[in-house]
Amino acid sequence: MAVSVAFKTDLLGAIPSLRAFAVSLSQNADKADDLVQETLVKAWDKHQSFQPGTNLKAWLFTILRNEFYSQMRKRGREVQDSDGLMTARLAVHPSQHGQLDLKDFRAALEKLPEDQREAIILIGASGFSYEEAAEICDCAIGTIKSRVSRARTRLQEILQISGEADFGPDSIASQVMGSSAA
Amino acid sequence: MSKKDEHVSGATHQRSSNADPLGTNSEIARKLKQYYDELVVDEVPDRFADLLSQLEKAEPARKKD
Repeated sequence: MAVSVAFKTDLLGAIPSLRAFAVSLSQNADKADDLVQETLVKAWDKHQSFQPGTNLKAWLFTILRNEFYSQMRKRGREVQDSDGLMTARLAVHPSQHGQLDLKDFRAALEKLPEDQREAIILIGASGFSYEEAAEICDCAIGTIKSRVSRARTRLQEILQISGEADFGPDSIASQVMGSSAA
Repeated sequence: MSKKDEHVSGATHQRSSNADPLGTNSEIARKLKQYYDELVVDEVPDRFADLLSQLEKAEPARKKD
């Protein structure tokens, strides 16, 4: 059966999300686009195994993720370790003004183990439910939940921010308003 | 820009971390969104559009044999 035009259009539409996920996983723009390319080829080849009406994005993310881990296995841990050393050298300082810098956040994210990073990305950024994320990662929902939880805790540690609500300029502003606005 | 739209005085639902391990209102959750939104670029590089066109062209040829 030939690949339908609709399928091709849907693939095209999914590319921005796939690229974002690929960058989050691999932490490298070139590697990410190679991953996306490989994912598209694989998706095309096995389009018949996709059931129309089910979540195409989740299906594609699953392919991309599998591809990422199989490439990592082929390459061995060496590359990853040297990458890790590189990022360790980039010191993360909490900003003076309590405002978390995006650059710092990126560096902190890079320090997470892959399984935690992908879990927090799928849930917190890509917009998947815990059920969908569990399916993509081929694990239990509870596993995704604990990975997300650990990822969050780890990020808070690296960035030295507390899990409690942040008291920013707002609390000061309300004090000022309280005393002078009457 | 100030965060004037936030009238909450720090008393957010931090206790519900079991049901929501990420904490939708947490600083981490907000940064995560910001980080990811920056990665999602709507413009698709030609490389991918070309690839799909090639796959499409290869399709009938593959069916012949």
